[in-house]
Amino acid sequence: MRRLLDIKDLSVGFTAYGQTRQVLRNVNMHLDEGERVSLIGQSGSGKTVTMRTIIGTLPMPPGRVESGTIHYDGRSLLDLDAQDRNRLKGTGISIVLQDPMLSFNPVLTIRRQMDDIVRYSDIRLGRKRSKADREAHLIETLQKVRLADGMRVLESYPMMLSGGMRQRVLIGMALLNKPKVLIADEPGTALDVTTQDEILALLNALVEEERLSLLLITHNLGVVRKMADRVYVMEHGRIVETGTRDTIFDAPKHAYTRKLMEAVPPLYGAKVKTLQHEGSTTTIEVSHVSKDFEKKGGLFNRKTGNFRAVNDVSLCIQQGDIFGIAGESGSGKTTIAKMILGLSKPTEGQIKIDGQPISDFAGTQEFRKRIQIVYQNPGSSLNPRRSIADQLAVPLKFTGYSSAAIKTRIGELLELVDLPQTYSGMYPHELSGGQKQRVAIARAISVSPQILVLDEPTSALDVLVQSTVIDLLHRLRREFDLTYVFISHDLSLMRNFCNRVAVMLRGNVVETGNVADIFDAPAHAYTRALLSAIPVVSAEEEALKPKIKKQERDEVLASSSVLEV
Amino acid sequence: MSLLDDPDAPMRGLSSRQMAFYRFSRNPLAMIGAFIVLSVALAAIFAPLLAPSPESAGAFVDFRNRHVAPSWDHPMGTDNVGRDVLTRVIFGYRVSLMLVVGVLGVAVPFGIVLGLMAGYFGGWTETIIMRFTDVMLALPPLVMALAITAVLSPNLFNAMIAITLLWWTWHTRLIYRIVKAQMNEDYVEAARVAGASHAHILFYELLPNCFSAIAVKISLDAGFVILFGASLSFLGLGIQPPTPDLGTMVATGSEYMPEMWWQAVMPGLAILYAILGFNLLGDGLRDMLDVEL
Repeated sequence: MRRLLDIKDLSVGFTAYGQTRQVLRNVNMHLDEGERVSLIGQSGSGKTVTMRTIIGTLPMPPGRVESGTIHYDGRSLLDLDAQDRNRLKGTGISIVLQDPMLSFNPVLTIRRQMDDIVRYSDIRLGRKRSKADREAHLIETLQKVRLADGMRVLESYPMMLSGGMRQRVLIGMALLNKPKVLIADEPGTALDVTTQDEILALLNALVEEERLSLLLITHNLGVVRKMADRVYVMEHGRIVETGTRDTIFDAPKHAYTRKLMEAVPPLYGAKVKTLQHEGSTTTIEVSHVSKDFEKKGGLFNRKTGNFRAVNDVSLCIQQGDIFGIAGESGSGKTTIAKMILGLSKPTEGQIKIDGQPISDFAGTQEFRKRIQIVYQNPGSSLNPRRSIADQLAVPLKFTGYSSAAIKTRIGELLELVDLPQTYSGMYPHELSGGQKQRVAIARAISVSPQILVLDEPTSALDVLVQSTVIDLLHRLRREFDLTYVFISHDLSLMRNFCNRVAVMLRGNVVETGNVADIFDAPAHAYTRALLSAIPVVSAEEEALKPKIKKQERDEVLASSSVLEV
Repeated sequence: MSLLDDPDAPMRGLSSRQMAFYRFSRNPLAMIGAFIVLSVALAAIFAPLLAPSPESAGAFVDFRNRHVAPSWDHPMGTDNVGRDVLTRVIFGYRVSLMLVVGVLGVAVPFGIVLGLMAGYFGGWTETIIMRFTDVMLALPPLVMALAITAVLSPNLFNAMIAITLLWWTWHTRLIYRIVKAQMNEDYVEAARVAGASHAHILFYELLPNCFSAIAVKISLDAGFVILFGASLSFLGLGIQPPTPDLGTMVATGSEYMPEMWWQAVMPGLAILYAILGFNLLGDGLRDMLDVEL
């Protein structure tokens, strides 16, 4: 077997503000022909720097390769001159980037963007091809990534395609020049779980068909189990453990690998924790709620019709529940949360909190003491220019606390979320993601509400940090008798965190009930499709996942113009 | 992904302010700009102490020393009535800086408040404020200023009023755009959920995020206000003699070009020096605070 990629003792440092930081330390890894290798680690561990050093897009300065070599097919990449190295791009090593939206130029057609790749590589390699030949090649490549209607895709602009189609086109672009090594950086993580599943299956199929070697960079262990023959685990720029997929998953040796494994919430099996809670009084009652948004367009931005985001939804949330609202993007789960918070009014129907219609008291002090929210991304929900103490003071100030009382309360709040008192004078950028989310939680509970709406509170965090935030939320709920409305697309987390769930599809609730019932015996085809698409970390869970027939799955997901893998 | 958040990194301990100053101090042009602005400000403040012949600043006449070329006694020469040009340039900076402080002191707060309101409230407030701003921007500024100073009498105060009436529009536009971009951030909604008043959101949540852009804009503006004031004076509608003003000096001196070049060129170079300083400082601040204008 040929060794295609061989990295020996690679160390990379970054110099900024007069200080040098070691980002990669003596990294050793290799990739053989036809092999699928995964590089896993948390954000900031050095995965992306490794990838960029391989393909030669590391910004230098501030980056600098301090020692080590990278060999591609026997040639030393770091010693090649720029021209030779450019020749390898796309033909030797190719890459699929993470975000399918950001990787395209929004004002150029797909044809133009794909054709450019072929044209310039033809020039670099001294090949001559006619325009028609190139187009035939483009269509053929799109067929490979299962986009049947190649002509239509070529004519489209990026925004006209769905997320899954964009990701397919991106993979197609990487394959245009028949590379030997394909590097995939978090493929599909920006997409919904059912689409991600299709993309992963596609990549697996392409590795076989095109005889590619795959280097997969990801933080998702479930994806790794599905996609890798061999695994490297990276922590703080060091490879801490390496081995075949089965040895890593069945018998992880390094403490960090074990910690990573344990932090992944299990979907099925003995390790699943089920939250037992049976509420007696109804806290939130959503009855027959619909929400329409106006569609505008044409000349002078006239109203051209309505878009129904939420359709006739009824939910009943008991005191003390952790009520999960699950669904993919665009399913209407955030719209429901905004209506429960009184931030937008339902077009039809009514929402009551403790028997009182919220339209009667939304925006009042009493309402704010009833319900608060924690947002998905603490980077956006905390004001970057205000200190932690300033931000925690806002809800208190507007609920009539005196300035002395505000000061003591801020101290209490920081203690409640396990942050040191000294943090009160700091600014958000001085805190890590998990600490920022703790501040956001402290702000939400500052006026002692009874209900918290949690809008994907951990989806922006690493899995290790996620578990500590979840523990904190459990503790606060016990201590203050809170009710949570938990909005998420992460069903594994939901299985372990919630006691009741509602599953949403295109504005409708398709299924609702106790978490154990829904996960063990999903009644609706969509729930089964969702559950079967989740990448899990053990064979035991894989076996317990619900099975769904292809035809049934296609009916609920209605994926258009994509050929079957 | 940020490459700088490794937990065992020695980078910790550098606050963002320290990093910003590091960037500023590594930028030679910004340092030069800061030095020039500082020198102009000091010259203006300590003018009576620094000027070689303070009496030249007023209605002073010394016909024996008219049109003296630059020499050790008069580094910038003397003008048509025998006054020391260097003295008048130093005192001229006083007038220019007063103009800057007066104009920006009124126009900037006014523009900021309108921009904040237009961006935050949206709807009719936005339409009225922004369309009015567009109308003001469509008027040719020099013609407008000439009209205003011609109707009122031409002096420093009225020149200030004229420039102020034109200047706030740029700040309104700038702040409006920054606020609009912030409206998508969750912290604005979070403040609303927390029950914050409109005034709180406007001045405590939104405004702090505009500060760096405002700082850059002000330092760039200062140079242009000086230039605009000098243009008005050059046309005879700004500061009136005998008050020393750089624009008036260029206008009077130009009558003696090219033989007695120093009378127009020296004050002209002084204008160039000050504007260059403010612009370099503004560019440096922009790199340091990392804002787009």
